[in-house]
Amino acid sequence: MHELKPWLDLILQRRGRLVVGALLLLATLLSGIGLLALSGWFLTETALVGLLLAAGTQAYINLYVPGGGIRFFAVSRTVSRYLERVYNHNTVLQLLTDIRVALFNRMAEAGHRDRGQKSGAQWLSRLTADVDALDTLYLRVIAPTALAGVVSVLLVLSAWLLFSGSLALILLILLAVAILLSSWRVFAGTQYLSGQLSDQQEQLRGDVIEHLEGFAELTAAGRTGKHSGRLMRQALAMSRTQARVDSRAGWHQAATQLLVNLAVVVTLWVGITLFNQGSVTGPVLVLLPIALMGLLEVYAMLPDAFAKLGATLSAARRLNQEVQPAPGTEYSSAFDRQPAEATANALEARDLSVGHPGLPPVLTHFSLKVGAGERLGIIGASGSGKSTLADTFAGVIPPRQGKLAALPCAYLTQATVVFEDTVKANLLLGNPNATDGDLWRVLELVELADRFAREAEGLSTWLGSAGNRLSGGEARRLVLARVLLSTAPLVILDEPFTGVDTDTRGRIAPQINRWLEDRAVICLGHGPEALLPSSGHTLHLN
Amino acid sequence: MAEPAQADIRQWLSGLARKNQRWIRATVVAGALVGLATIVQMALLAWLVHQIVIEGQNASTLTPWFVALVATLLVRTLGQGFQTQFAARCSEQVRRDARRQIHRHWRDAGPVALADSSAGTLAREWLDHVEALHGYFARFLPQMSLSVIVPLAILILVFWLDWLAGIFLLLSAPLIPIFMALVGMGAEKVNQQHFETISRLSGQFLDKVRGLTTLQLFRQTEDASRTLHRRSDQYRKITMKTLKVAFLSSAVLEFFASVAIAVIAIYIGFGLLGYITYGPSADLTLFSGLLILLLAPEFFQPLRTLSQHYHDRAAALGAGAEILARLATPVGGEPASDTPASLPDHGLSLDNVTLSYQGGKPVFANLELTIERGKAVALTGASGGGKSSLLHLMAGFIQPDSGAISVFGQPPGQCPFGWLGQRGFWIQGSWADNLRLTSPEASDIAIENALRLVGLGSVLESRDQGIHSLIGEDGQGLSGGQARRLSLARIFLADYDLILLDEPTAGLDATSEILVLEALHKLAEAGKTLVFSTHHQALLTLADQVLIVSDGEVRHA
Repeated sequence: MHELKPWLDLILQRRGRLVVGALLLLATLLSGIGLLALSGWFLTETALVGLLLAAGTQAYINLYVPGGGIRFFAVSRTVSRYLERVYNHNTVLQLLTDIRVALFNRMAEAGHRDRGQKSGAQWLSRLTADVDALDTLYLRVIAPTALAGVVSVLLVLSAWLLFSGSLALILLILLAVAILLSSWRVFAGTQYLSGQLSDQQEQLRGDVIEHLEGFAELTAAGRTGKHSGRLMRQALAMSRTQARVDSRAGWHQAATQLLVNLAVVVTLWVGITLFNQGSVTGPVLVLLPIALMGLLEVYAMLPDAFAKLGATLSAARRLNQEVQPAPGTEYSSAFDRQPAEATANALEARDLSVGHPGLPPVLTHFSLKVGAGERLGIIGASGSGKSTLADTFAGVIPPRQGKLAALPCAYLTQATVVFEDTVKANLLLGNPNATDGDLWRVLELVELADRFAREAEGLSTWLGSAGNRLSGGEARRLVLARVLLSTAPLVILDEPFTGVDTDTRGRIAPQINRWLEDRAVICLGHGPEALLPSSGHTLHLN
Repeated sequence: MAEPAQADIRQWLSGLARKNQRWIRATVVAGALVGLATIVQMALLAWLVHQIVIEGQNASTLTPWFVALVATLLVRTLGQGFQTQFAARCSEQVRRDARRQIHRHWRDAGPVALADSSAGTLAREWLDHVEALHGYFARFLPQMSLSVIVPLAILILVFWLDWLAGIFLLLSAPLIPIFMALVGMGAEKVNQQHFETISRLSGQFLDKVRGLTTLQLFRQTEDASRTLHRRSDQYRKITMKTLKVAFLSSAVLEFFASVAIAVIAIYIGFGLLGYITYGPSADLTLFSGLLILLLAPEFFQPLRTLSQHYHDRAAALGAGAEILARLATPVGGEPASDTPASLPDHGLSLDNVTLSYQGGKPVFANLELTIERGKAVALTGASGGGKSSLLHLMAGFIQPDSGAISVFGQPPGQCPFGWLGQRGFWIQGSWADNLRLTSPEASDIAIENALRLVGLGSVLESRDQGIHSLIGEDGQGLSGGQARRLSLARIFLADYDLILLDEPTAGLDATSEILVLEALHKLAEAGKTLVFSTHHQALLTLADQVLIVSDGEVRHA
């Protein structure tokens, strides 16, 4: 359960709201119990008085207090229910925002993490599902359990006061077993399955995404039928597991209700003797069993919630791993690097070793100087470590050994990242102070100005899912434009022209050269043609 | 994707229900049993109270009644257990059917149409949106029947006990569906918007997380966090508006249930006192009065449960809308009806082909093209000129608006062929798993040979398990060049006659490029028919024939 702690802490920051919400829940439940129990009491009282009156005996009954009470509970039940639902759902939505924003901030702090290129989509949907699992922790699990406990104790106390200590003890045992059955037992019985379920689902999601990514190849080879058959079988296995979890929760719920109803039966049974002895009146004899039946409503919420708790725990465990500082990087240090002490050089590396944390270094004992305004080209085959080198230069990953000092830099990563937002928002990341004029100028530079001038929305054109409305070459040029907007004195470009056709590249490369005239530029590529034309001296990585 | 009409979504859902009627019925029967057991339980309770309080019976004479009560409780428990079990089973079947339908659609739509949506979106529809149907079939649908059966049974019993109390219940009952319908109609539309907002917002969060490194590089994470907070809060406000309305339906129900109980309690109380001199109230006893009171909440319970499951319906409708929109996207139709002229030359031919995208200007108009069997043909020209479209036509991934295409005398896509897209494709698993995707029968030796042919031999040698070692176990995955070579290895292994390649060398490092060129050379020499789009000089030299594709024209170079 300790994996929930950071998230519970976050939830508990809204303590005031949680308490008010829980009190509203309690008010709703007590109004419901009060309405029925008081009505039962009232009926029995009137029946007894009615008999006396019919027999001609003098009898007195106060109609106003119970009548008023019944009317009060009828109204308070409605009002508190409505308020409770509106209030608590507002709380849940606030928690939802809190959790997402906190998660994002913590991930931003945790630094860069190399997830490999494959896991992207899979990892993201898993993240969504995991965050969703935490959203309802309060309303589904914490509040109902607390409520069930409090109301049960209240009823046991009333049994002790109105009936007898031994009955109170029996009820205490029955209700405690019922609570354990509907919470702990369900959790223990489904934790494994439920955790397995989310793993199965993610495995399947990965497989479906792979199926879709390879759909053209599989279709060409005439293999989609076989492959999708396999996916269907996996999906069915997953539904089966879920059906088992559901059924288990259902049977536990049935058993819980049986226990509560048995508590009602026992109360009535014990009541017979007490009534015949005269220590309990008829109306009171009716009051307690009816009140006990009111517990069914709150107990019924528990099994389903606890059946999902196993999945919630594994979700929390995975999220906790996400926000661990990335191995080898100190807290946020990588991105807030101090500028080089010697301002004469844009970048200076002495005896540098680079590599991703946890893997053997790609390059060792490497020394390099790039003066302000100088150009450097780096050429290397894929796998030669050039992106790792670029990441190190830009401060995404820390050097394994040696010294590195660099001016603030703008870095075009090998991956093309276009945000689901407007063209403008995407570009402004490079320089938040840029004017629309600046944006058009830089778009002109990469030959995208015409492309967006044609769109009705211009700079406000929304770029769809993962920038899908742009072709590969256009997306590359857009992110290139974003880097060019930055005023940083050092610019690092990793494969700037991926997917850009030769003609376009031939036209825009010289313009970019001019645009970057007095800045230091390190350009990396797989061959000389992938670099800027005037790359100064060139290094070859082997 | 156009928004499908509500009626269509409902029809689609009931189509799914019809196929699994058996389980739905079983769920309803179990639920009805629970309802009946509850009525008997309440009757026994009221009877026992009457015997104790009014008749002064002692424990020993009442023992059989207590035994009956416990037996009834056991029946109720069993019914409840089976109800959930059957419901789970039903939803399991429904989800399987829905997934099958989507699969069929994917197959019909083809790779090009599917590529319009991201794989993540499609996977979400297949996985999460189908899961969202669960509550509707497991809970809402059976509860619909139960919320008629159980209240009706209670109503009959109450009428028999005291018709005036029955009228109270009856009066409050028909108002409930009316109110619920009124409130529900509003809530439903907003609920669907809610569904969209969630997916859009979730997308926003994910989008920011996906680009986290980029945001960090530009030092914009705080700004992004603020945007996220602002948009989440907007979403909360919109959603709360919906919920305030949606919760009114349950409040209305709650109100009627509470008022009915209060009215009945007071009526019966006065009746028992003998204050009411007309109607059936003179015959009221503590037994009948208490039973009516105990049944009153049970009368409303099925409806309350139904309203709790209302969001299941909304979720199913929301998910159903997206699934149906996907299922309703045109799949490009059947291959154009005019069958290709019989072609004795067994090459590739395009005869009078016209292709346009959604009302735009035609990509090709009346295109005539023949490619002989065994030739290597390069397509070149500016990007956006139609090279990819031409390849897609030959692959049968898209269908022309008119005209006929023939591949070795058959419609395109009929025989397996090799396809190499701009992005190589690999799955998590071993090298052998990856190659057996398209050639399941291939021997280990053949697989190893194919990998060597594309220059992946050295990668295998560094691993203990050779072709059975996992791809990407070093945590790095494959580079773009390696992935494309892996796809090429599949083509070698499967030995296709036709191989279509979209920019096979774009963005490759020098080593990969040379290896791919060599591989293509080998394929060409083996007499395969190769068609590829490229700008690359070395590839152009490799071709027997170079075609320039631009502005809908195809010319010989």
